[in-house]
Amino acid sequence: MTYAFMRRLESTPSRYDRGIELLSGGRIGSVYDRIAEMAARPGANVLDVGCGTGGVSIACEVLGAHVTGIDRDAGMLEIAAAKSNAVQWLEIDATEIEDHFGPESLDAVVSCLAFSEMSPQVQRYVLSTASSRLRPGGRLVIADEVEPDRVGQRVWYRVRRAPVMAVTWLLTQTGTRPVKDLARSIATAGFTQIETERPWPSFLIVSAVKPS
Amino acid sequence: MAFVLDRLGGQTIMISLFDTLLRILPHRAPTGLVPIGTPDRSSPVLVTGNYTLTVRRVRRALTGRDAWLLVADSKGINVWCASGGGHLTHHDVISAIRTSGVQDRVDRRLLVLPELCATGVERRRIEEATGWTATWGPASAEDIPAFLDRGGHTARSERATRFPLPDRLEMAAMWIGPLVPILWLVLWPITGAGAAAIDAGVVGLAVLALYGFFPWLPLRTMRGIPVYATLSVAAFGIGIAALALFGLLHPSTMLWLAAACVVAMGIASIDMAGSTPLLSSSVNPSDFEVELLSNRCTGTAECVLVCPREVLVMDGHAHKVRIAEPANCILCAACIVQCPEDALRFRFDDGRVVEPDVIRRTRMNLLGKRKTSL
Repeated sequence: MTYAFMRRLESTPSRYDRGIELLSGGRIGSVYDRIAEMAARPGANVLDVGCGTGGVSIACEVLGAHVTGIDRDAGMLEIAAAKSNAVQWLEIDATEIEDHFGPESLDAVVSCLAFSEMSPQVQRYVLSTASSRLRPGGRLVIADEVEPDRVGQRVWYRVRRAPVMAVTWLLTQTGTRPVKDLARSIATAGFTQIETERPWPSFLIVSAVKPS
Repeated sequence: MAFVLDRLGGQTIMISLFDTLLRILPHRAPTGLVPIGTPDRSSPVLVTGNYTLTVRRVRRALTGRDAWLLVADSKGINVWCASGGGHLTHHDVISAIRTSGVQDRVDRRLLVLPELCATGVERRRIEEATGWTATWGPASAEDIPAFLDRGGHTARSERATRFPLPDRLEMAAMWIGPLVPILWLVLWPITGAGAAAIDAGVVGLAVLALYGFFPWLPLRTMRGIPVYATLSVAAFGIGIAALALFGLLHPSTMLWLAAACVVAMGIASIDMAGSTPLLSSSVNPSDFEVELLSNRCTGTAECVLVCPREVLVMDGHAHKVRIAEPANCILCAACIVQCPEDALRFRFDDGRVVEPDVIRRTRMNLLGKRKTSL
């Protein structure tokens, strides 16, 4: 899966869903459903950080959760709002969560393919804010691109990614980076019961719980 | 140019040369709080984007001063292009304030924003979210010391974009650096090494002439096609003469020379229009302009502070802004984005209007968006 193209897709929100479906080999829908299955319950307050066109938010809402999707890209939110009016969509950055959600007001915080867009400082800040906004026992689920664990797969991943990154850079003057040490960063932020899943070698879903 | 003015250390020169020649590509500097000199709790906080050349330029301009430089994530792109393209917004500045630790390092909650971020960074959204006061600084980093000495006020001349010879040569080097070798390598198998070198060389000369003679070219008041066409023809003529001199003049070499001249000027024209705050973007439709709704204007004159082309002036008697130089307008929409009264908007010749909320959502990234949003 080639997330290097994500920046290109994000510059044209209307193509995002079709593009990400293609790039994930048709697997992104099952990732959205899996995140929702881990985090959403009927009546639960769920926050989707960097919701984009709303894939995860809507999957959580379908399970009966009260969902707020936040994204800094108004174009992405326009697409999301056209899909569902049952989710609350907010145009804010991940570092503005504290302005809109009170302490311990959330049952779950989810995020898919947004952490790779953030600097390490912002990642730490968002994890810290998520921890303060989740109720004790609340669940955090973060999914993103990572480098494969096995050496051979990692080399192949880098070789395959390099030319695509170059093309993406030329087309959009931006790029994405795989997230490093995601599970460890989540543990450092104070979360426990950390579990990981790899739907495919370069993609990681991390689930964790805020301690009671 | 950056590599000329930098320290004469081998590594710095190599990095600067690399940055300058490849400045079309994004170069990410680290984001966060950068101390300049020995700043203390009362030192000014200046915002910029994380493009390496920009950060270096601001640091150089502030040599001998004590200040905090708050580097926001502009995705490695310069402030003007990043703001116009939606890559540097108020969200990035808010994020920088909250994650950089600046709140623990200074007592005053006062930020200076670069004027050229006004197309994408909504000043009031920063103030609402953080409680900091944000003000507009000058368009050029070189004017920051005078701006600070004046107590944080920009002079009119500091709000207008300048494009002096060193900057123009830097832009020319940016294009000549990759364009000439790429053209040479592409044309070599087709026309032979000698003819390819002549083709690439004259293209380089044409680009150099475009940027070198920019102030004297009539590019501000017209779409520019005649200018670019003239430069292409002149380069073609010089190329023909050179090919003839070296006995390389054949129909095929002439054809490839013509193609190279047209392609190079086409690329340069796109870059000229929109990439600098001097000419209107070439993706703009030509049939619209900024409209000032005078009955809504309350004279806060924020539009005047962010206009890089001195289009708007404050009428002290009427206590309202007026459009003084409409021909200078490059339709960047900075004034529309920042007006607290929504007294400015775009109006097409056929009467359709684009309201400020649409522009704040789409910024300069037209791509047909403003038309479809009507």
